[in-house]
Amino acid sequence: MNQDEAWGTAGTIEDVSGQVAIVGVGDAIYQRASGKNGVELAIEATERALADSGLAPGDIDGIMVTPYMGAQLDADAYRAHFGTEQEIWMSNEGGAMTWAATAPAVAAAAIREGKASAILNLFAVDWFSQKGSDSDEGPGKFHGQERMKANFELPHGWFPQPVYFATIARRHMWQYGTREEDLGALAVTCRRHANGHPDAITRDRTLSLDEYLARPMMVDPLRMEDCCLISDGGGAYIMTSVERARDLAKPLVVVEGVSDGYSNSGAYWSQQGNFTASPQVYSAPKAFEMAGLVPSDVDVLTLYDPFSIVALMQIEDMGFCEKGGASEFVAGTNLQYDSPGLAYNTHGGLLSHAYVLGISHVNEIVRQLRGEAANQVSDANVGVYGGYTGHMASTLILKSGS
Amino acid sequence: MSQAPLPETDWDLTRPFWQAAKESEFVMPRCAGCERYVWYPEEQCPHCGAGDVLWVQVEGRGLLFSWAEVRHPLHPPYKNQLPYITGIVALEVDPRVHYVTRIVECTTSELAIEMPMEVVYRELSFHEVEGAVVAPVFRPVA
Repeated sequence: MNQDEAWGTAGTIEDVSGQVAIVGVGDAIYQRASGKNGVELAIEATERALADSGLAPGDIDGIMVTPYMGAQLDADAYRAHFGTEQEIWMSNEGGAMTWAATAPAVAAAAIREGKASAILNLFAVDWFSQKGSDSDEGPGKFHGQERMKANFELPHGWFPQPVYFATIARRHMWQYGTREEDLGALAVTCRRHANGHPDAITRDRTLSLDEYLARPMMVDPLRMEDCCLISDGGGAYIMTSVERARDLAKPLVVVEGVSDGYSNSGAYWSQQGNFTASPQVYSAPKAFEMAGLVPSDVDVLTLYDPFSIVALMQIEDMGFCEKGGASEFVAGTNLQYDSPGLAYNTHGGLLSHAYVLGISHVNEIVRQLRGEAANQVSDANVGVYGGYTGHMASTLILKSGS
Repeated sequence: MSQAPLPETDWDLTRPFWQAAKESEFVMPRCAGCERYVWYPEEQCPHCGAGDVLWVQVEGRGLLFSWAEVRHPLHPPYKNQLPYITGIVALEVDPRVHYVTRIVECTTSELAIEMPMEVVYRELSFHEVEGAVVAPVFRPVA
């Protein structure tokens, strides 16, 4: 296809710049079977986010979840657990993945319209515990049951997700000269950050670029190290108006930009009009415009990184470098938190921190902007999260307040 | 629990494809109105929204769009096939049609993106899965 041809569109999220703040963050990360179900993990993350914010359980009057996957915590379950009686506004437009970026826009509208004033966004999965069981709703099952994929992709062995992204990576390598070493730089960066992060699942396992290159291919050209972990875990963050946030415990972190973008060529990876790009091409410019910022203003970037190639494409598509320029941009230690380049996935990302599908990516940005991160970027004032689900991408820009 | 990777050969939307494959024919759904191919098949043409979608026989040729070699047992039914090559061929009749396919009768060292490929028909069967299906798959043009 002609790369100049429009293959996607920006979403219609309205300007919410400066309206809401993230005032509390909490994670519940488990390397192996947690012995808890998804709802219990969601509650644990919620308790930590509440403690972080200084809000009481009875202060929460809005909960956002995703109805599509992972654990739900509805109003009744919340009140039952915390022994509270408040009215709670519920939204299905929250959770992780792309929604971890767009939930603040929905929350801003709810706060403006008086539906809620302190809104919890949460996500949790117990996919490690479920692995191999009949109830396994792990990451492959959803795709394997999609009817066209089942009919025209599974017979050919084009399944599950590592195969999609190996095929994308090969084409990207052919098209732009991307090298194994570039994918390796992302994996090594994530691992080094995880080694410095107390919650990270791979905190005790180091990875050098030489070790990466010596590892066997899982789905050529991807190695195991290019693929996300499977784990139990959850994350939650709490939003209020900026005004209210000023009176709360932690330094102010303000939502300055929110956007989403969509591919026009449907939900199948195999049929994407632009196979080697993400819809960040259509999402990111809008968030930057809303925030009145440009990519070079960003101090810390977290990207939904189910596979190294997904992060590499988003770096290009969000405008941190030109398309095809990621090879140079990500090389060596450029993305490490203490290098002069752009600090990337400073908690370790899905590759090395935990597989909680992006909600911890937002929490990490908040901690960086407060100055309380494990791998603290010096003078971090602007942070960005990029969410991705194939035909959708989203962008969240946060800024430390004054 | 594993998803069996055999197609539904009795689904109205896809039956003509698998019936043709059994006769060593490669067919694609095309809109009778705007004449664009509709892949994956849909009852209504998503391009013009008007025409009937009809299956037409097409040349089983194309260019290798991309590929991957699966070396690790990610899905139990593929276990007896490792390593195998799978990928996408952009069809000659319309390169916007991306046909996901096994890539057979070659090693990875013989493959290059954009090389010409041709269809062959092979029976596919899977580890601990009953039954088999004849599918159009692709190999490099000799």
